[in-house]
Amino acid sequence: MAKVIYEGLKFRYKTTLIHRLDPRVKMVLSIALFALALLGSNFYQEAITFVVTTVPAVIAKSLRRLMRVVALSVTFGVFVVVINLVAGGTIVESIVLAVRFLEIVASTSLFFVTTSPDELEYVLRWLRMPRDFVFAFATSIRFVPVLLMDLTQIIDAQRSRGLELDKGGPIKRIRNLIPVLIPLIVNSLVRSGELAEAMESRGYGAVKKPTSMNTLRMTVRDWVALAIVLLGTTALIWLYLYVL
Amino acid sequence: MALIEFEDVSYKMPNDVMALKHVNLKVSRGELVAIVGGNGAGKTTLLKHMNGLLKPASGTVRVDGRLITEFSVAQLSKLVGLVFQNSDHQLFAESVKEEIAFGLRNFGYQPSEVESRVQYAMRRFGLESLSERAPLTLSGGEKKRLCIALVTAWDPVVLALDEPTVGQDHLNKMRLLALVKKFIEERRTVIIVSHDLEFLWPLQPRTVVMAGGRVVADGPAASIFNNFALLESSGLRQPQLARLALALQSSTPFDNVDEAVSWLKQRYGSYHV
Amino acid sequence: MVIALGRTIVEFDDFTFAYAGSPTPAVQHITFSVEEGEIAVLAGLSGSGKSTILKAINGLIPHIYPGEYSGAVRVDGLTVRDTPTYQLAKKVGFLFQNPENQIFMFTVERDIAFGLENMGYDPKVIREKTDWAMDLLNIRDLAKRSPSELSDGQKQRVAIAGSLVMDPKILVLDEPTSLLDPKTALDVVNLAKTLNRELGLTVILVEHRLELVSTIASKMIVVKDGSILLQGDPYEVLFSDGLEDAGLSLPPIVELQKKLGTKVGKPALDVEEFVKEVPKVWHS
Repeated sequence: MAKVIYEGLKFRYKTTLIHRLDPRVKMVLSIALFALALLGSNFYQEAITFVVTTVPAVIAKSLRRLMRVVALSVTFGVFVVVINLVAGGTIVESIVLAVRFLEIVASTSLFFVTTSPDELEYVLRWLRMPRDFVFAFATSIRFVPVLLMDLTQIIDAQRSRGLELDKGGPIKRIRNLIPVLIPLIVNSLVRSGELAEAMESRGYGAVKKPTSMNTLRMTVRDWVALAIVLLGTTALIWLYLYVL
Repeated sequence: MALIEFEDVSYKMPNDVMALKHVNLKVSRGELVAIVGGNGAGKTTLLKHMNGLLKPASGTVRVDGRLITEFSVAQLSKLVGLVFQNSDHQLFAESVKEEIAFGLRNFGYQPSEVESRVQYAMRRFGLESLSERAPLTLSGGEKKRLCIALVTAWDPVVLALDEPTVGQDHLNKMRLLALVKKFIEERRTVIIVSHDLEFLWPLQPRTVVMAGGRVVADGPAASIFNNFALLESSGLRQPQLARLALALQSSTPFDNVDEAVSWLKQRYGSYHV
Repeated sequence: MVIALGRTIVEFDDFTFAYAGSPTPAVQHITFSVEEGEIAVLAGLSGSGKSTILKAINGLIPHIYPGEYSGAVRVDGLTVRDTPTYQLAKKVGFLFQNPENQIFMFTVERDIAFGLENMGYDPKVIREKTDWAMDLLNIRDLAKRSPSELSDGQKQRVAIAGSLVMDPKILVLDEPTSLLDPKTALDVVNLAKTLNRELGLTVILVEHRLELVSTIASKMIVVKDGSILLQGDPYEVLFSDGLEDAGLSLPPIVELQKKLGTKVGKPALDVEEFVKEVPKVWHS
């Protein structure tokens, strides 16, 4: 489960056409695919949407990663099928639901894999989300690798005191997490305190509307890509509604 | 037979960097060994092999004659007690007593023995007055002492300290020095990883210099600490007294300030203007 | 050596402070001043009050840490107590001990620009100043890199750049070297010296290992249990008798000279100086 999240959301630096697009266009692309998945009402439509998703994935040289995420999500997909069958649905309906789910996973993953946290922050700012919220969100993401390192070191230190995380029944295993979680939480709290001091020392909150050194600017390529996405989506919607 | 033996050990990090390259090292019972080098030299990686947290990509590591690959981290930690650099990565219990007891319980000591060992450790390290305090509320120096206390509580054959002086003030460093000297008197096997040569200087340990994942030198303190070129190229700062001995062209090293004073008086006779 | 321009830029006037909820003051009757262009070293054991003093300079005390505050702290004409932190941020750059916990953004250049963005500067100006700071600290090639990939020394530089970009007159460093290895520690100290010399920045730093900074400091202030024990010229302070009392480690070369009892002209603060003095003073 954790692996899915990690693989599916981690940005990898690449310079493909897709990666270089304005993040807002990438967002529209993912939302469009997401919407197509929701609109699809039969197997063929879902399948087409899925295949269509692989196109930008290939351009972004991230197809393998996307497929890996989808593969990891298959277990949950099976779960969806079973639940739906139990609820009285037909096999076909259930499979459609499962494919829809996988498609949602794929389209979301596509966005995060091709968009750096930096770009994401710019998008959130552009969307006029409250400054504090964007800052808190961005900073948490920035510190994820740091937290992971802390976690590794804490686990190492506690294992060196004889803590065995892979032994015992479910209750014991959960109890064994306490010596790992407490230092992690405490360290994070201390870290937040230090960050607060640093923020204050660099004038955070001086001005109601902070400026930005870089701004998102759409290039011709971005507009063209946006046009392709919108036209393509419209075409597919028409296809789904009236043809298939 | 060596207590700890590294034979042609290489280790690769997840990001493909070779953290250890063909390392050969033998530590005998009762020895004091200092492993020095700049950040990234591979010192901590080396230490983590000693209790099995890391396993070599090639070569073998033996502790007390046994291959580390055949034992769990818990089993090896009983023999090799590691005190990590950052005390805040370990402390979690409600009281100092409980904190020390944690490791002992993990290693399977019976409650009565746990109790006596905890009491002994607290007495020995001057923590009795703090026994009910929450470890997270202690000062930096107290936390470090606690971490050392809790590791020695289960009497590991080898005590390994990773950068014990980082972030510590002078007074605490002196306390640490006294502790290490006591361990040496007790004939314990002690391994100290540090880049603080000023701190190690009075101990005059056998010194292993690491740089870029390799062991670049291994010898008595006098020969290593007086080798300015070696230390510089390994990212280390020569202790002032060693630098002084070099600059004055003294044939003998100055173990402490008094030795330097007597050398000067001897060499230059009395003081004239 | 340091050339002090004679104008007092940081002034502590009988400053006493107790953190909210604490019965005893963390520091009391702190009185000292630092002149523009000086490099002042603050030394003392953990818990002696050094951090409190530093935080009272850029306003973290009392604005983030309220408490019982008496006396005055003045920075470049402004009274800290009456000045909001963001205004003080323009005068005082503050460097914290842990380089990791003062870098917020995903890329180096964005983190350096952080302070200016907060102040609402024009994007073009931000770009110029950020480029200038990166060039000054030789980290231009790291501009688009993620801070988690950097070494400790590089992180420190990024943090310093982030402070310099606001054009402060004073740079405060809180134990900048304690988590660094010897080579990187020396780099940071030399960097502070260079910034002082080339930009005329007043530097105030807290450092335990006196032998690292004794040759660059123009003033030393020793703190013990919340009060100032000694202050003055580094020579005076290091060679005075009260130093051991504060629990500080004397650089061995200073201890040596104290034991020799030599007093010819200026005593030496490092090995090189001492060795030069030896043939002048001693001959068989």
